[in-house]
Order: sequence, then C-alpha cells, then structure tokens
Amino acid sequence: MNILSSIWKAVSRGFHRLGSPREFYTISNYLTPVFGALFLVLSLIGSYYALFVAPADYQQGDSYRILFVHVPSAWLSLFIYVVMASAAAIGLVWRMKMAFVVAICSAPIGAAFTSLALATGSLWGAPIWGTWWEWDARLTSELILLFLYFGVMALYYAFEERRTAERAMAVLAVVGVVIVPIIHFSVEWWSSLHQGATVFREGGPAMPPSMLTPLIYMALGFTFFYGYILFLRARNMVLSNERKSKWVRALLQPQTLQPQGLPSKILQAESGKEGTQ
Amino acid sequence: MNNTFILFCQREWQLLFRNTSNLVQPLCFFVIIALLFPFSLPLENELLQRIGGGIIWVSAVLAILMSLESMFRADFNDGALEQWLIHPRSLPLAMLAKVFAHWCATGLILALFSPILCLAFRIPAEQIWVLFLGLIIGTPSLSLIGAIGAALTVTLHRGGVLLAIIILPLYIPILIFGAGMITQSYSGAAIYSQLYALLAILALAITLAPFAIAGALRTTIE
Repeated sequence: MNILSSIWKAVSRGFHRLGSPREFYTISNYLTPVFGALFLVLSLIGSYYALFVAPADYQQGDSYRILFVHVPSAWLSLFIYVVMASAAAIGLVWRMKMAFVVAICSAPIGAAFTSLALATGSLWGAPIWGTWWEWDARLTSELILLFLYFGVMALYYAFEERRTAERAMAVLAVVGVVIVPIIHFSVEWWSSLHQGATVFREGGPAMPPSMLTPLIYMALGFTFFYGYILFLRARNMVLSNERKSKWVRALLQPQTLQPQGLPSKILQAESGKEGTQ
Repeated sequence: MNNTFILFCQREWQLLFRNTSNLVQPLCFFVIIALLFPFSLPLENELLQRIGGGIIWVSAVLAILMSLESMFRADFNDGALEQWLIHPRSLPLAMLAKVFAHWCATGLILALFSPILCLAFRIPAEQIWVLFLGLIIGTPSLSLIGAIGAALTVTLHRGGVLLAIIILPLYIPILIFGAGMITQSYSGAAIYSQLYALLAILALAITLAPFAIAGALRTTIE
C-alpha cells in the first residue's frame, strides 16, 4: 500500500508540475530533443527495414511498401484524436491551462496525419484496387474524422478571447469522441472493400515478422514525431499565451536568453507563485 | 423537476407560435431544398423514387441546421440566457425542454409534411410510412446534437457556416440509419436494425446532450 501510494503521489506531483506552463516549458526543454532523436532513430531504422530488408509482397510487389507510411498515419489520426479529447476533458474538469494547449496544438497535427493517411491510401488504392476512392467504411470514417478535426480547429479560431475559445473547442472535442464510435459503427454499414484488421487481432498478427518489424518501428517513430511536433507547438503557444508573465519576459530578454532551461535565479524568484497556476 | 420542463415548454411554445414565421420558414426551406434535386437530375421516375427518401432526409437535416442558428440567439440578445445560467433551476432539464419545443416547431412539422413530398417523388405508400417513422425518431436527435453546436456558437456574430462545419459530421450516423431504413424497406428487407439504431442514438442523445448543451452555454457565456 505504501509503495502504491507513494507512486501515486509521485505521478500526481509530476502531473501537476506539467500543468503549470512554466514547469512545462522547463521540462520540455529536455524532452523535445529526446523525442526528436527517438523519432529520427526509429524512423530511420524502420525505413531501412521497410525499403531494403522486408520482402516484396507476392501479389502487390513493391507497391505495398506505402503501408509503412499509411498505417502509422492512420494509427496516429485516431491516437491524436483520443489524446486531444482526453486533454480537452482534463482541461474542462481541472481547468488546467496546459491541457488546453495540448488539445489545441494536437488538432492541426491530427488533421495533417488524417490527410496523409487518406492521400497515401488513395495512392495505394489506385494501382491495387483500381480506384482512387471507394465508399468503404474505413475510408469514409477517416474522411469524417478529418472534418471533425477541421470543425474543432474552426471553432477555436472563431473566438477572439482565448479562454472561451479553448473551452468551447474542448467541449466539441469531448462531444466528438462520444460520437466517433457511433460514426464508425454506422459507416461500417457499407460492405467493406478495405482489408480487415491485420495487426491487432485474435491469433496474432497476420503478417510475417519481416514486414511487422519495420511497421512497428515506423509506428513508434511517427508517434515520437507527433510528440516532438506537439512539444514544439506547445512551447510556442505557451510563450505566446504567457507573454505578459514575468518568467517569459525574463526569458525573452537577450541577456538572460540561454540555450538550456531557465536561469536558476528566475526559477527561485517565481517559485513562491506555484499555487496560482 | 417536471415544473421546470413544463414551464420552459410553455414559454418556448408561446414564443414560437406567436410568430408564425418560426414554423413556416423551416418548412418552406425543407420543401424548396427537396425540390431542387429533381431539377438537377435526369427526369426518370424510377430514379427519383429510388433516391427520394435520401433527398428528403438531406433536406430535413439542412432545414433543421438552418433553424438551429437562431435557437439561442434571441435569448442571448435579450439577456434571458444569462438569467437561466445563474438560476438555481436545473439548466440541462430546461435545455431539454427548449430543444423539445424547438423540435415540435421544426422536426415534427417536417415529418408531418414529408408524406406530401413523398408523393412528389412517387415513393410508394409503404416507404412513406417508413420515412415518416424515421423522421419522427431521427429528427429529435438532430435537434439535440445540433443544439450543442448552437450553444457553442451563440456568441459569434457569423456562426452559421461554422455551425454547419462542426455539426454536419456529427449528423452522419443519423442520416445513414434514417436513409438506410428506406433503402432497406425498398429492397423488401426488414428495417428493425436501423430503427433500433436510431432509437439507441435518440436515447443516448436525450440522456447526454442536455448536459453538453448546458456545459457549452456555461463555457461560451461568461
């Protein structure tokens, strides 16, 4: 029990620390390059295996290799939506500034990955299915997901006041996540031309390890790429949102500008204010 | 509890029925949109008969969408909305009543009028009943989900296009099941699965949407 409660305390302390923009900015100083490096390494390894090691498909030849971009983008399009909606819910419930920032910064990235999944799917479909577009369940759901992203972004940018904008956007994101499964279920009505689940299914993946390994590398690499871009965007947004606060002003003054972290003096001066975040 | 619901229904009905244009405008819009389709299609009776149900559903969705924009507008402008927000009465229940009254003025009237449109599209009597049933069950969900969007955009001056962008994707399941019911019935199959799906969506919308509407109003009006 003691161990559990101390773990819980550590987790919640970390959570609360991330909730403060200033703490987030400091921590992200170290995390951003880590995510970037992980993305680079994983996707390079993945690309090497995908392009040179994995064998050609006996039916589709080399054209199937677009899968190593298509599947990770499709996975991220859903993953980012869940992250966005969870962050939005956290922001609404605990009024956490950083949660809104994460939700808002995720939306354009999610929309980009959804477009990428649609575009690569279309390019793949043209030679293999003989059609650029098919009114199939997964394709259509993905397209609707893209419009949900657009809706969330449009709502956010329609408001002039930031606080209202981020909360309105959060409500829509949460409503969307309730309706997304219903949309998917309803859209599955049409007979599906798209192949069924291949990776996560009963009895293990229906894919040889030589193809599955690069796919996993690529999926992980893409996920870290999302984290990397998210951090970059969130750091920008934090600076712009908090531009009137003391620590950002101090940070942006030329003499205190340092490549890593905040100067320790500012951290000490601001440490008395943590409760107000 | 019931008191709030009845009071709000009475208030909304009075407001709606004192100004007849509230009732006539969505209906006119509905009919005109539906009649635009035959002009843009080859004039074949069989084709119109086959796609008529879908056209009527799309027209109903658009008519309800148009009426949603003004749903909270007057109450927001005269300050009534802010009074509801600070009143101890249950806001979700009040919003449920408001949406119910709104549905009576739009969805219900559209559904009641749809058989006449069906005649224009030469839809057989059996499918007219199916369409009517689908509209009666489906349009309340449209109003409930749409009211969330209306609440989110009430403070924006030009919220109309934005409302369409954020709400129309959420309407897709209802459209699929509603229009699917007619297609199914047209090919002679049973319509129960779509009917039950529509009812399930309605049950979900009635229980969850009022809270989302109340939350959205509290978010945008501060």
